[in-house]
Amino acid sequence: MENEKTAFRPILSGIFGMIAAGAAIVGLLLSGVGYFLDARQFLFSWLTALVYWTTIGLGALFFVMLHHLVGARWSTVLRRMAENLMWGLPVLAVFFLPILFHMPQAYSWSNPEVMAGDHLLTGKSGYLNVPFFTLRLAAYFLVWFVLVSLLNTYSNQQDTNSSASLTKRMRVVSAAGMVLFAVTLSFAAFDWLMSLDAHWYSTIYGVYVFAGSFLALLALMVLIVLQLRSRGILKNVITSEHDHDLGKLLFAFTIFWGYMAFSQYLLIWYGNIPEETVWFLHRWNGTWKTASLVLIFGQFVVPFFVLFPQAVKRMPAVMKAIGLWILLMHWVDIYWLVMPSLHHEVHLSWMDVTTLVGIGGVFLWFFQRGMRSRPLVPINDPTLAGSIRSLS
Amino acid sequence: MSAPITETPLLTGKHSFSGITAKISGIAERKAPVPWYLALGAALSLLLVLFGSIGFLVFEGVGIWGVNNPVGWGWAIVNFVWWVGIGHAGTLISAILFLLRQRWRTSINRFAEAMTLFAISCALIFPGIHVGRMWLAYWMFPIPNQMGMWPNFRSPLLWDVFAVSTYFIASLLFWYTGLIPDLATFRDRAKIKIKKVIFGILAMGWRGGNRQWRHYELAYLILAGISTPLVLSVHSVVSTDFAVSIIPGWHTTIFPPYFVAGAIFSGFAMVVTLTIIARKIFNIGDIITVNHLEKMNKIILLTGSMVGYAYGIEFFIAWYSGNMYEQFTFINRAFGNYAWAYWIMIFCNVLVPQVFWFKRLRRSIPVMFIASIFINIGMWFERFVIVVSSLSRDFLPANWDYYSPSIWDISTFIGSFGLFFTLFLLFIRFLPMISMAEVKTVLPEADPHHGVAHSRPGGRHD
Repeated sequence: MENEKTAFRPILSGIFGMIAAGAAIVGLLLSGVGYFLDARQFLFSWLTALVYWTTIGLGALFFVMLHHLVGARWSTVLRRMAENLMWGLPVLAVFFLPILFHMPQAYSWSNPEVMAGDHLLTGKSGYLNVPFFTLRLAAYFLVWFVLVSLLNTYSNQQDTNSSASLTKRMRVVSAAGMVLFAVTLSFAAFDWLMSLDAHWYSTIYGVYVFAGSFLALLALMVLIVLQLRSRGILKNVITSEHDHDLGKLLFAFTIFWGYMAFSQYLLIWYGNIPEETVWFLHRWNGTWKTASLVLIFGQFVVPFFVLFPQAVKRMPAVMKAIGLWILLMHWVDIYWLVMPSLHHEVHLSWMDVTTLVGIGGVFLWFFQRGMRSRPLVPINDPTLAGSIRSLS
Repeated sequence: MSAPITETPLLTGKHSFSGITAKISGIAERKAPVPWYLALGAALSLLLVLFGSIGFLVFEGVGIWGVNNPVGWGWAIVNFVWWVGIGHAGTLISAILFLLRQRWRTSINRFAEAMTLFAISCALIFPGIHVGRMWLAYWMFPIPNQMGMWPNFRSPLLWDVFAVSTYFIASLLFWYTGLIPDLATFRDRAKIKIKKVIFGILAMGWRGGNRQWRHYELAYLILAGISTPLVLSVHSVVSTDFAVSIIPGWHTTIFPPYFVAGAIFSGFAMVVTLTIIARKIFNIGDIITVNHLEKMNKIILLTGSMVGYAYGIEFFIAWYSGNMYEQFTFINRAFGNYAWAYWIMIFCNVLVPQVFWFKRLRRSIPVMFIASIFINIGMWFERFVIVVSSLSRDFLPANWDYYSPSIWDISTFIGSFGLFFTLFLLFIRFLPMISMAEVKTVLPEADPHHGVAHSRPGGRHD
């Protein structure tokens, strides 16, 4: 066991930190320039990128809590990776400041003139107003910060203290955390994304955003696992058995996302009420139609057929490709949710890239810091040995 | 090395392979206990009530029910959705928990799968008799005919026909495939010729050889894969019966996952209710232990909370929509003429399962028995609230009417329990109610490392 423990020492070189920090600085600086050139474009690109990374962080939080709640064994070797991925989540709160300072440019409901002239929006003003929006935003991040800190602190303590009570404590945090998670994620999705088109509403929206979040997190985990292995890190710890299990989850959540997306579409299409169909019509006009098709095929049809065969889940080359693909599609998904509120036609901007790289650099910098500052797996977790040996 | 978290073994007491066979086969081989006869008598009486109610319905027509204008869907549809929902636990246990490698399912899967089949049988009665001229119910199937009549493929009511019948067939196959090794055991233990022949035919030549087991396990895995989407699809389709319409309270996008969560919720409640009774009567508390029940209660807490989430989101979005009809519907549900039903629903489905946050209550048989009954009631009321409250207050106030069931609505519903329990009692009397072959795999002896230092109680070799 002692031998094994030394093998889990973080051995990532500092170069990753420098790359992440470099990406963050360059990305954020260029985005800052963009702000002065076209503030509205900047805001929408920024929101897309911010929601993209926030949802991945939330996916990681969900992964960790689910692991504790169900008493999973196979995923113990992956737990620390997810814990490192959620480090960056609370930090992202800071990046909401530019949006808070320019609310009327992003959210039409925050514009008093628009609000006053719109009977429907006036009815919602008890919920859709800037102070309450800000308060909720702070509350979501406070909840996530507390959950991430508690889970990471207990996890760190477990590395030096092998008492079983820590496992129990993490379970308790996860149980309460799951309830808070469901509520905060749903309302965050309503606030940040759904209210961009403030007239429109859909009860499944929160679950839809959750499905995409967890799917993207799984794709990122697959990528990280395979990347580490190709560098010889954790080679005999995270095995192809874990790849297979991750692949199965990726497949399952591909279907789950498709199920949510289809439920939302089918019911609105069938009901054919103009207030509801308008949202899909915006996404079926002109070049947006292409984006919608890319999403249907890219986020569901292609991954479904690629991930279907059993053998594929143990083929690193294919899994890397599909992992990257799904991460890209998650961005298309968020873009597709956000951008029709700004552009009537698909209009890619260089700021879409710089904001994504900039915020992503910060998010991943925290990830690599975790990977370098503590063991790569929870070395004292009582289920670790079983997890390493687990068979898919 | 850290202190391992001790996990309680699944089965309590000392068991051996032959002991399990003897115990479970014995239930079907010995004379049935007196409570079984009493229960069968009661179930058969209720079954007669069902036959009588349907007979009078055929004779007189659906006018004998309480349905009126605008409430054209009354108890029949409520009962249909309720029974289909109950069926979902069986498939979740047999398919999804199998894929998730949850080995605690082995003690309860047979039981729950049988419950699924019988619950669907009860469910299928209601849409069948609800069509009015039930001798034409076969028109629901796309059968070529000289009149050129064809079902409307865009109608979710037709999707139901396919979804539920597919579900029934897949569940039946799954249940039967799982039964084969145990049927062979019954065949081998049979003392009389006729039993030997019948179980021999049913066991389809099972000899328990290595190759047979390999094929069997592959078939079982594939069936689990096929059944898993069905767990989600069936109740999603049922939810579209309501959600594709534009009636406030019915037309909302969260319906498919919300219905699925509710179905699993009610199904597990029914499994808990039946398990508690069965393990008492047949003294199998050491095979279906409190640990199994506790795990089921956790799923009840989870799915109950999902249902609570859906209630909350629906209510919030109804307000947020700014649509006065949506807003009216939900305020009417909570404070209108059917408020009593709404609050029964909230109490039973949202509040009652919260007791399962506490380990002591989760493991208390009386608590979980009462809670499971409440949940069964609550989930019936959920469907009642959805069906009736929205219809009774439609867009034109001049149409509004209050719906109450007639005696025939009540007798048909109560009678459906007769069908359910008759089938169930016959099942536990004549077939192995616990999967002997599968339960044995969680015994320590089934572990290839049994006796080696790192093997763990419960047969896990991690």
